[in-house]
Parts: sequence; structure tokens; C-alpha cells
Amino acid sequence: MKILFLSLSLIGAAALVGCGKTETPAPAAPASETSAAPAPAVLPELKVAIDPTYEPFTFKTSDGKPTGFDVDIAEALCNEIKRKCVYVEQVWDSMIPGLQAKKYDVIISSMSITDDRKKVVDFTDKYYNTPSRIVVRTDTPFTDLNSLKGKSIGVLKGSTQEKYAMGDLKPVGVRVVPYEAQDQVYLDIKSGRLDGTVADSVEVTGGFLRKPEGQGYGFVGPVLNDVKYFGYGVGIALRQGETALRDELNAGIKAIRANGVYESISKKYFDFDVYGE
Amino acid sequence: MSGYYASILQGALLTVGVSLAALVFAVLLGLAGAAAKLSGRPVLVTLATVYTTLVRGVPELVLMLLIFYGGTIGLNNLLEALGSKATVDINPFAAGVLTIGFIYGAYMTETFRGAILSIPKGQMEAAWAFGMGRVRTFLRITAPQMVRYALPGFTNNWLVLIKATALISLIGLQEMTYLAKQASSATREPFTFFIFAAGLFLVYTSVSLWVLRKLERRFSMGVKRGRV
Repeated sequence: MKILFLSLSLIGAAALVGCGKTETPAPAAPASETSAAPAPAVLPELKVAIDPTYEPFTFKTSDGKPTGFDVDIAEALCNEIKRKCVYVEQVWDSMIPGLQAKKYDVIISSMSITDDRKKVVDFTDKYYNTPSRIVVRTDTPFTDLNSLKGKSIGVLKGSTQEKYAMGDLKPVGVRVVPYEAQDQVYLDIKSGRLDGTVADSVEVTGGFLRKPEGQGYGFVGPVLNDVKYFGYGVGIALRQGETALRDELNAGIKAIRANGVYESISKKYFDFDVYGE
Repeated sequence: MSGYYASILQGALLTVGVSLAALVFAVLLGLAGAAAKLSGRPVLVTLATVYTTLVRGVPELVLMLLIFYGGTIGLNNLLEALGSKATVDINPFAAGVLTIGFIYGAYMTETFRGAILSIPKGQMEAAWAFGMGRVRTFLRITAPQMVRYALPGFTNNWLVLIKATALISLIGLQEMTYLAKQASSATREPFTFFIFAAGLFLVYTSVSLWVLRKLERRFSMGVKRGRV
């Protein structure tokens, strides 16, 4: 889809619209980590695209400031590579075209690294990889996957979790039921048609486990992050060929992993290590 | 919580601004397009026909991506080819107004063309016979009668145009639908904010309808009474 739009836009490049040249960037979040030494007066800007509709990773507080895990990571990285983060809000559907059009330099908005996207943009190393988990009633006896035999498990159609459930759960006798939307899975658990689900651990925590209808349910089994099913995790997207910036950011990710900044950000939002293996 | 409502209200102001500005542009394009289509000159007729066929036949979403992103990418590539390091940033408000105006200009062209064709030709011929020029004939004879025929179609176009502004978040403008989406995802309460945004749209369209109905009554004064 995005590739189609891109090639279309390239064809349409001839149809130009001349307009003004100003752009008001979104208000920057206050730097969460105050730097010890006074920074040099003007740091070069790094324009960061976010789509603040993905709580708790990227969202806006009620007074309109971008916040969340992605934003905190962006601030920490900017701090590390001596740039000033300027946030540009962008709708998800036009995230990659906006990058190509140089509206911003990087996308730090929970974009998963996939082979399809790699054809049009470059990615840094992953900066997080939320694992998926199996959720059933907490009183279900569980020793290994075989103890789920005969249970009905709902999954989101076309998701990585569906791939996993079809590959690993179905062979041991679990009934796997695909749904159009994850919240329909929750509704059917409530109505008793399902015994549980396989879902992204962050999604299922916010969307189900912390809600009243999620009472009595919990994670069982191992953390699921098999690359065969679940891919490479989430990285920072940038235009192809910007290797210098990519190397800088990769070094930055390593640095904040090593100096504890990453861990403190992760703890602020999650009660587990969001980086993954 | 109330902060989110305030931001959606601000987005509503932007929606009103973009839609009104786009309407002005669309009416100008529509008048020009209708004039071209009725001019009888092959070049103008072809140009206007290509415009209305193309624009009305391609989804708005695709056109917006094409014009905004295609345009910017093209400009930047051009600058790079010329050896410049600068990058162009198109103002999203202007781009939104121009794109929506450009699209709805095509619909307006057809509405105005149909309206002008509904006026009996003798009216214009009589004006010319009295020695009125083209411009004066248009202002005094064609335009006032055209408005009456065009208003129903115009009203339709306007309502669709208002709702099309929900697409401009695609090019980076924070209009109210996008802000409602942000608020609902931050709070995980989708219905609260989407219903609020839907209500604002409904208020806006209802006010528009009321104004347009007044206009319609004014421009058909005399005609309806005469018909009884």
C-alpha cells in the first residue's frame, strides 16, 4: 500500500504546488533528563516524526504535549548524539511519504522493522520489542503448552500472534479462533465463548488485564518472541543512505542501554523489560 | 480531560478556517471551469474536461498524497539536482486549502455549468441585444439566476467538502478528527471524543444548512410565488 502511494507520488512529482515555506513543528516535550553541564547554546535540530495515538508509547497529555515511551527514548537519544529533538506530528498513513518528502529526519513512533518497509526506508537496530503472551484465567493449571489442550483461544486475524497460534498452539489441540479486532476477542472472553487470547503484552495489559473484565486473568507460559513468528522488533526509520545518522543513533541506543537511562525510562511505563532478548 | 476537549475545539476552528478558504478557491475554480466548458473553444473545453474527469474520478486521499507529498519530493529532488542543500517545506495549511479547493472546484464546475444551462438562452441573448457586454451580462443577468439553480448542488458540495477536511490531517494539519483520535487513544475512551467531534461537525453543517436555506429562499423570491 505504502509502496503504491510512493510510486504514485513520484509520478505526480511533476504536478507541483508552490506554497509558503514555513512549518510550525509540534511543541517539544520538556527534556525529562536535565543535562548536567549547560549545553552549547544552539544544538542542531533533529526532526522526529511521531503519531501520538498509541498509548503508552506515543500519546499527548491533556495540555497537548507529546509524551510516552517513544518520546522519552527520542529525548534520551538526542541528548546522547547532541541534537535537539523537534517533534512533528504525522498521521500513520503518511508516515513514510513524509519522511521521503524530508518533512522530518527520523520516525520514532513504534514502527516495527519489517522486510516490506526495509525496501523503502532504513532502520536502526531495534530499541524495543514487546513480547506477546498467552492470557488465560489465572486458575488454569499450566505446566506446558499441552495443558492448554481443548481450550479456545482468540487471536487478531493477520497478526503475528495468529501466525504463532496456528504454528505452535493448534498442533497441541488448542482451538484457535481469528477475530477482526482485538477488542472483539475481549468481548468474547467476557461472554464465555473463549478461554483466553494470545496478544501483545502491552496491548493486553492496557486493553484487558487492567480493566474490570480482565479480573482473574493473567499471563501463562513463556515470553513469546520467536523471530520466526514475531519479527525483529521496533526501530527508528530514516531515509535510505543516511548511514552516518544511523550509525550515530545505533551508538546512542547502545549507550543508553549501557548507562541505565533506558532502564529508568522502561520502568516508568512498564513492569517488565521492554527491550526483549 | 478538559484539556483534550479544548484542543479538539481548537481543531474545530482550523476545520472552519480550512473549509471556508477552500470553498472560496473552489468557487473561483468552478466559475472558471464552467466558463471554459461553455466557451465553445476547443482548447478550453478540453482542458476543463480533463480537469473535471480526472479530479472527480480519483479518490481525494490519493490526490492529496500525490499533490502534497509528490510535490514536495519533486521539489526537493529538483533542488538536490541543482546542487542546493536547502529543503522545501510546504505550508500544510496552504496545501490543504489548495488541495481541497482544487478537488471541489471540479464538482463546482459541473454544478455551475448545469445551473447556467438551466437559464433560458433568450435571457442572455436579450441582454446582448440591449448592447450589454459579456461581463455585464454575466453579472446582471446570468449570475443572479444561476445562483438559484446552483444552490441545491452547491449545498451538497459544501457538506461533502466540510467532511473532506477530516482527511487533511494526512498532510500534517491538526484538525479535529485527528485530535479526537489522539485524545481517545491517550485515554482509551474512543466514544467520548469521537462523539464530541461528530457533534461539532453536526453543529457546523446545521448552521451552514440554515444559512444556505435562507439564501435559497432569497434567490427564489418571486419565482415560487409566480408559479402558484
